[in-house]
Amino acid sequence: MDLSAWSVAAPAVGSAFLASLVEVVEAFTIVLAVGTLRGWRPAGFGAGAALAILGGLIALFGPLLGHVPLHLLQLVVGVLLLLFGMGWLRKAILRAAGVIPLHDEDAIYATQATQLTGTTRGPRRSLDWIAGLTAFKAVLLEGLEVVFIVIAVGAGRNLLWSASFGALAACAVILVIGFAVRRPLAKVPENALKFGVGTMLSAFGVFWTGEGLGVAWPGQDLALAVLVALFLTIGLATASALRRPATEVFP
Amino acid sequence: MNIIGEVLKELLSMFFADARLALATLGLVAMVGGLVAVLHLDPLLAGGLLLVGCLAILVGTASHEARDRAHR
Repeated sequence: MDLSAWSVAAPAVGSAFLASLVEVVEAFTIVLAVGTLRGWRPAGFGAGAALAILGGLIALFGPLLGHVPLHLLQLVVGVLLLLFGMGWLRKAILRAAGVIPLHDEDAIYATQATQLTGTTRGPRRSLDWIAGLTAFKAVLLEGLEVVFIVIAVGAGRNLLWSASFGALAACAVILVIGFAVRRPLAKVPENALKFGVGTMLSAFGVFWTGEGLGVAWPGQDLALAVLVALFLTIGLATASALRRPATEVFP
Repeated sequence: MNIIGEVLKELLSMFFADARLALATLGLVAMVGGLVAVLHLDPLLAGGLLLVGCLAILVGTASHEARDRAHR
Protein backbone atom coordinates (compact mmCIF):
# COMPACT_ATOMS: atom_id res chain seq x y z
CA MET A 1 0.00 0.00 0.00
CA ASP A 2 1.52 3.38 -1.02
CA LEU A 3 1.69 6.53 1.10
CA SER A 4 -1.40 8.05 -0.49
CA ALA A 5 -3.52 4.93 0.15
CA TRP A 6 -2.25 4.79 3.74
CA SER A 7 -3.20 8.45 4.27
CA VAL A 8 -6.86 7.47 3.84
CA ALA A 9 -6.78 3.92 5.21
CA ALA A 10 -5.00 4.85 8.45
CA PRO A 11 -7.49 7.60 9.49
CA ALA A 12 -10.41 5.35 8.44
CA VAL A 13 -9.22 2.39 10.50
CA GLY A 14 -8.06 4.70 13.30
CA SER A 15 -11.41 6.53 13.44
CA ALA A 16 -13.34 3.26 13.54
CA PHE A 17 -11.02 1.86 16.21
CA LEU A 18 -11.02 4.93 18.49
CA ALA A 19 -14.75 5.64 18.11
CA SER A 20 -15.49 2.01 18.88
CA LEU A 21 -13.30 2.16 21.98
CA VAL A 22 -15.42 5.05 23.29
CA GLU A 23 -18.77 3.45 22.46
CA VAL A 24 -17.81 -0.06 23.61
CA VAL A 25 -16.64 1.33 26.97
CA GLU A 26 -20.07 2.99 27.40
CA ALA A 27 -21.98 -0.14 26.40
CA PHE A 28 -19.69 -2.36 28.50
CA THR A 29 -20.47 -0.34 31.65
CA ILE A 30 -24.18 -1.15 31.32
CA VAL A 31 -23.67 -4.77 30.25
CA LEU A 32 -21.33 -5.18 33.24
CA ALA A 33 -24.00 -3.80 35.58
CA VAL A 34 -26.59 -6.19 34.11
CA GLY A 35 -24.22 -9.17 34.23
CA THR A 36 -23.04 -8.50 37.77
CA LEU A 37 -26.47 -7.83 39.25
CA ARG A 38 -28.77 -10.06 37.16
CA GLY A 39 -26.43 -12.72 35.79
CA TRP A 40 -24.38 -13.07 32.62
CA ARG A 41 -26.99 -15.06 30.70
CA PRO A 42 -29.48 -12.20 30.12
CA ALA A 43 -26.57 -9.77 29.67
CA GLY A 44 -25.01 -12.03 27.03
CA PHE A 45 -28.32 -12.67 25.23
CA GLY A 46 -29.17 -8.96 25.14
CA ALA A 47 -25.72 -7.88 23.96
CA GLY A 48 -25.51 -10.74 21.44
CA ALA A 49 -28.90 -9.93 19.91
CA ALA A 50 -27.95 -6.26 19.53
CA LEU A 51 -24.59 -7.18 17.95
CA ALA A 52 -26.41 -9.46 15.48
CA ILE A 53 -28.70 -6.58 14.44
CA LEU A 54 -25.76 -4.17 14.11
CA GLY A 55 -23.83 -6.73 12.01
CA GLY A 56 -26.95 -7.17 9.85
CA LEU A 57 -27.14 -3.39 9.30
CA ILE A 58 -23.53 -3.31 8.04
CA ALA A 59 -24.12 -6.37 5.84
CA LEU A 60 -27.30 -4.78 4.44
CA PHE A 61 -26.23 -1.17 3.89
CA GLY A 62 -22.53 -1.73 3.11
CA PRO A 63 -22.98 -3.42 -0.29
CA LEU A 64 -25.99 -1.19 -1.17
CA LEU A 65 -23.72 1.86 -1.05
CA GLY A 66 -21.73 0.41 -3.94
CA HIS A 67 -24.71 1.12 -6.22
CA VAL A 68 -24.88 4.84 -5.35
CA PRO A 69 -23.00 7.18 -7.76
CA LEU A 70 -19.63 8.06 -6.18
CA HIS A 71 -20.02 11.87 -6.14
CA LEU A 72 -23.49 11.65 -4.58
CA LEU A 73 -22.24 9.11 -2.02
CA GLN A 74 -19.26 11.33 -1.13
CA LEU A 75 -21.51 14.38 -0.75
CA VAL A 76 -24.15 12.67 1.42
CA VAL A 77 -21.64 10.77 3.56
CA GLY A 78 -19.46 13.89 3.77
CA VAL A 79 -22.30 16.07 5.06
CA LEU A 80 -23.37 13.40 7.57
CA LEU A 81 -19.76 13.07 8.74
CA LEU A 82 -19.54 16.85 9.14
CA LEU A 83 -22.69 16.93 11.27
CA PHE A 84 -21.62 13.94 13.36
CA GLY A 85 -17.88 14.67 13.61
CA MET A 86 -18.21 18.37 14.37
CA GLY A 87 -20.88 17.50 16.95
CA TRP A 88 -18.43 15.18 18.73
CA LEU A 89 -15.58 17.67 18.42
CA ARG A 90 -17.68 20.55 19.75
CA LYS A 91 -18.71 18.49 22.77
CA ALA A 92 -15.11 17.33 23.35
CA ILE A 93 -13.92 20.97 23.22
CA LEU A 94 -16.55 21.98 25.79
CA ARG A 95 -15.61 19.05 28.05
CA ALA A 96 -11.86 19.77 27.71
CA ALA A 97 -12.58 23.41 28.64
CA GLY A 98 -14.58 22.35 31.68
CA VAL A 99 -17.77 23.93 30.34
CA ILE A 100 -19.68 20.63 30.52
CA PRO A 101 -18.80 17.70 32.81
CA LEU A 102 -16.77 14.71 31.66
CA HIS A 103 -18.45 11.36 31.08
CA ASP A 104 -18.32 9.39 34.35
CA GLU A 105 -18.46 5.61 33.87
CA ASP A 106 -18.53 4.95 37.63
CA ALA A 107 -21.57 7.21 38.04
CA ILE A 108 -23.32 5.57 35.05
CA TYR A 109 -22.62 2.13 36.54
CA ALA A 110 -24.01 3.23 39.91
CA THR A 111 -27.18 4.66 38.32
CA GLN A 112 -27.72 1.52 36.26
CA ALA A 113 -27.11 -0.69 39.30
CA THR A 114 -29.65 1.30 41.34
CA GLN A 115 -32.25 0.93 38.59
CA LEU A 116 -31.63 -2.80 38.24
CA THR A 117 -31.65 -3.53 41.97
CA GLY A 118 -34.78 -1.39 42.33
CA THR A 119 -36.57 -3.74 39.92
CA THR A 120 -37.04 -6.66 42.28
CA ARG A 121 -40.74 -7.35 41.94
CA GLY A 122 -42.11 -9.95 39.55
CA PRO A 123 -41.10 -13.47 38.55
CA ARG A 124 -37.46 -14.34 37.88
CA ARG A 125 -38.07 -14.80 34.13
CA SER A 126 -39.57 -11.32 33.89
CA LEU A 127 -36.56 -9.81 35.69
CA ASP A 128 -34.17 -11.62 33.32
CA TRP A 129 -36.15 -10.21 30.40
CA ILE A 130 -35.80 -6.64 31.75
CA ALA A 131 -32.08 -7.18 32.35
CA GLY A 132 -31.56 -8.62 28.86
CA LEU A 133 -33.48 -5.73 27.33
CA THR A 134 -31.30 -3.23 29.20
CA ALA A 135 -28.13 -4.83 27.80
CA PHE A 136 -29.73 -5.05 24.34
CA LYS A 137 -30.65 -1.35 24.30
CA ALA A 138 -27.22 -0.25 25.55
CA VAL A 139 -25.32 -2.22 22.91
CA LEU A 140 -27.76 -1.30 20.12
CA LEU A 141 -27.82 2.44 20.83
CA GLU A 142 -24.06 2.79 21.38
CA GLY A 143 -23.35 0.47 18.45
CA LEU A 144 -25.41 2.57 16.01
CA GLU A 145 -22.74 5.27 16.13
CA VAL A 146 -20.03 2.68 15.45
CA VAL A 147 -22.00 1.29 12.50
CA PHE A 148 -22.42 4.78 11.06
CA ILE A 149 -18.70 5.55 11.42
CA VAL A 150 -17.64 2.20 9.90
CA ILE A 151 -19.96 2.68 6.92
CA ALA A 152 -19.19 6.39 6.50
CA VAL A 153 -15.39 6.22 6.63
CA GLY A 154 -15.31 2.93 4.73
CA ALA A 155 -17.77 3.62 1.93
CA GLY A 156 -15.98 6.41 0.04
CA ARG A 157 -12.77 4.45 -0.68
CA ASN A 158 -13.90 0.83 -0.46
CA LEU A 159 -12.49 0.48 3.06
CA LEU A 160 -15.51 -1.15 4.67
CA TRP A 161 -13.60 -4.26 5.71
CA SER A 162 -10.64 -2.27 7.06
CA ALA A 163 -12.95 0.00 9.07
CA SER A 164 -14.90 -3.03 10.35
CA PHE A 165 -11.61 -4.61 11.42
CA GLY A 166 -10.76 -1.43 13.36
CA ALA A 167 -14.13 -1.54 15.15
CA LEU A 168 -13.85 -5.27 15.96
CA ALA A 169 -10.31 -4.80 17.27
CA ALA A 170 -11.60 -2.13 19.66
CA CYS A 171 -14.39 -4.47 20.85
CA ALA A 172 -11.83 -7.20 21.50
CA VAL A 173 -9.51 -4.85 23.43
CA ILE A 174 -12.30 -3.54 25.68
CA LEU A 175 -13.82 -6.98 26.28
CA VAL A 176 -10.46 -8.50 27.24
CA ILE A 177 -9.57 -5.61 29.58
CA GLY A 178 -13.13 -5.30 30.88
CA PHE A 179 -13.55 -8.93 31.81
CA ALA A 180 -10.07 -9.01 33.34
CA VAL A 181 -10.79 -6.11 35.71
CA ARG A 182 -14.58 -6.73 36.06
CA ARG A 183 -15.36 -3.09 36.81
CA PRO A 184 -16.31 0.04 34.83
CA LEU A 185 -13.40 1.28 32.70
CA ALA A 186 -13.44 4.75 34.22
CA LYS A 187 -9.76 5.42 33.49
CA VAL A 188 -10.14 5.32 29.70
CA PRO A 189 -9.34 8.89 28.53
CA GLU A 190 -12.73 9.12 26.87
CA ASN A 191 -12.70 12.83 26.09
CA ALA A 192 -9.24 12.69 24.52
CA LEU A 193 -10.46 9.81 22.34
CA LYS A 194 -13.60 11.75 21.39
CA PHE A 195 -11.45 14.77 20.60
CA GLY A 196 -9.31 12.66 18.28
CA VAL A 197 -12.23 10.92 16.60
CA GLY A 198 -14.19 14.17 16.21
CA THR A 199 -11.12 15.72 14.58
CA MET A 200 -10.68 12.85 12.12
CA LEU A 201 -14.38 12.60 11.24
CA SER A 202 -14.65 16.37 10.69
CA ALA A 203 -11.62 16.21 8.40
CA PHE A 204 -13.17 13.28 6.52
CA GLY A 205 -16.41 15.27 6.30
CA VAL A 206 -14.75 18.30 4.68
CA PHE A 207 -12.75 16.01 2.38
CA TRP A 208 -15.71 13.93 1.13
CA THR A 209 -18.08 16.91 0.92
CA GLY A 210 -15.48 18.81 -1.09
CA GLU A 211 -14.94 15.86 -3.42
CA GLY A 212 -18.71 15.50 -3.78
CA LEU A 213 -18.83 19.15 -4.89
CA GLY A 214 -16.04 18.56 -7.41
CA VAL A 215 -13.05 19.79 -5.39
CA ALA A 216 -9.73 18.23 -6.44
CA TRP A 217 -7.77 18.57 -3.17
CA PRO A 218 -4.08 19.46 -3.61
CA GLY A 219 -2.01 16.37 -2.82
CA GLN A 220 -5.20 14.30 -3.23
CA ASP A 221 -5.63 11.93 -0.27
CA LEU A 222 -2.65 13.44 1.56
CA ALA A 223 -4.75 16.59 2.03
CA LEU A 224 -6.61 14.63 4.73
CA ALA A 225 -3.58 14.89 7.01
CA VAL A 226 -3.58 18.68 6.62
CA LEU A 227 -7.32 18.84 7.36
CA VAL A 228 -6.86 16.69 10.49
CA ALA A 229 -4.01 18.96 11.68
CA LEU A 230 -6.12 22.09 11.12
CA PHE A 231 -9.17 20.76 12.99
CA LEU A 232 -6.95 19.53 15.83
CA THR A 233 -5.11 22.86 16.15
CA ILE A 234 -8.28 24.96 16.04
CA GLY A 235 -10.06 22.56 18.42
CA LEU A 236 -7.25 22.66 20.99
CA ALA A 237 -6.95 26.45 20.68
CA THR A 238 -10.71 26.86 21.19
CA ALA A 239 -10.69 24.60 24.25
CA SER A 240 -7.77 26.56 25.64
CA ALA A 241 -9.48 29.92 25.00
CA LEU A 242 -12.74 28.79 26.59
CA ARG A 243 -10.88 27.56 29.67
CA ARG A 244 -10.04 31.17 30.62
CA PRO A 245 -12.41 33.16 32.85
CA ALA A 246 -15.58 34.09 31.01
CA THR A 247 -14.91 37.84 31.30
CA GLU A 248 -11.63 37.50 29.38
CA VAL A 249 -13.08 35.46 26.56
CA PHE A 250 -16.37 37.30 26.24
CA PRO A 251 -15.86 40.94 27.25
CA MET B 1 -42.15 0.16 19.96
CA ASN B 2 -40.28 1.95 22.75
CA ILE B 3 -36.96 0.59 21.47
CA ILE B 4 -37.71 1.65 17.89
CA GLY B 5 -38.53 5.12 19.17
CA GLU B 6 -35.28 5.24 21.13
CA VAL B 7 -33.30 4.08 18.08
CA LEU B 8 -34.87 6.82 15.94
CA LYS B 9 -34.19 9.38 18.67
CA GLU B 10 -30.57 8.21 18.88
CA LEU B 11 -30.17 8.43 15.09
CA LEU B 12 -31.58 11.95 15.07
CA SER B 13 -29.40 13.08 17.96
CA MET B 14 -26.31 11.68 16.21
CA PHE B 15 -26.59 14.39 13.57
CA PHE B 16 -28.79 17.10 15.09
CA ALA B 17 -27.81 17.13 18.78
CA ASP B 18 -26.88 20.79 18.40
CA ALA B 19 -29.43 22.44 16.11
CA ARG B 20 -27.33 25.59 15.67
CA LEU B 21 -24.29 23.62 14.47
CA ALA B 22 -26.37 21.38 12.21
CA LEU B 23 -28.28 24.25 10.55
CA ALA B 24 -25.14 26.34 10.05
CA THR B 25 -23.29 23.35 8.52
CA LEU B 26 -26.16 22.49 6.17
CA GLY B 27 -26.46 26.16 5.21
CA LEU B 28 -22.72 26.36 4.50
CA VAL B 29 -22.73 23.24 2.31
CA ALA B 30 -25.80 24.54 0.43
CA MET B 31 -24.14 27.92 -0.09
CA VAL B 32 -20.85 26.45 -1.33
CA GLY B 33 -22.73 23.97 -3.55
CA GLY B 34 -24.79 26.86 -4.96
CA LEU B 35 -21.68 28.93 -5.65
CA VAL B 36 -20.08 26.01 -7.52
CA ALA B 37 -23.23 25.13 -9.49
CA VAL B 38 -24.54 28.60 -10.32
CA LEU B 39 -21.52 30.93 -10.29
CA HIS B 40 -19.01 28.23 -11.35
CA LEU B 41 -16.75 29.08 -8.42
CA ASP B 42 -13.29 27.53 -8.72
CA PRO B 43 -13.59 24.13 -6.96
CA LEU B 44 -10.41 24.64 -4.96
CA LEU B 45 -11.69 27.99 -3.71
CA ALA B 46 -14.95 26.23 -2.85
CA GLY B 47 -12.99 23.65 -0.83
CA GLY B 48 -11.17 26.42 1.02
CA LEU B 49 -14.45 28.19 1.73
CA LEU B 50 -15.97 24.95 3.03
CA LEU B 51 -12.99 24.32 5.32
CA VAL B 52 -12.85 27.86 6.72
CA GLY B 53 -16.64 27.88 7.16
CA CYS B 54 -16.62 24.58 9.07
CA LEU B 55 -13.84 25.77 11.38
CA ALA B 56 -15.70 29.04 12.00
CA ILE B 57 -18.93 27.15 12.77
CA LEU B 58 -17.07 24.87 15.20
CA VAL B 59 -15.47 27.77 17.08
CA GLY B 60 -18.66 29.84 16.97
CA THR B 61 -21.01 27.16 18.29
CA ALA B 62 -18.59 26.04 21.03
CA SER B 63 -18.07 29.66 22.15
CA HIS B 64 -21.81 30.34 22.05
CA GLU B 65 -22.53 27.31 24.24
CA ALA B 66 -19.81 28.31 26.71
CA ARG B 67 -21.18 31.87 26.89
CA ASP B 68 -24.74 30.60 27.37
CA ARG B 69 -23.70 28.34 30.23
CA ALA B 70 -21.59 31.08 31.84
CA HIS B 71 -24.64 33.38 31.92
CA ARG B 72 -26.97 30.74 33.45
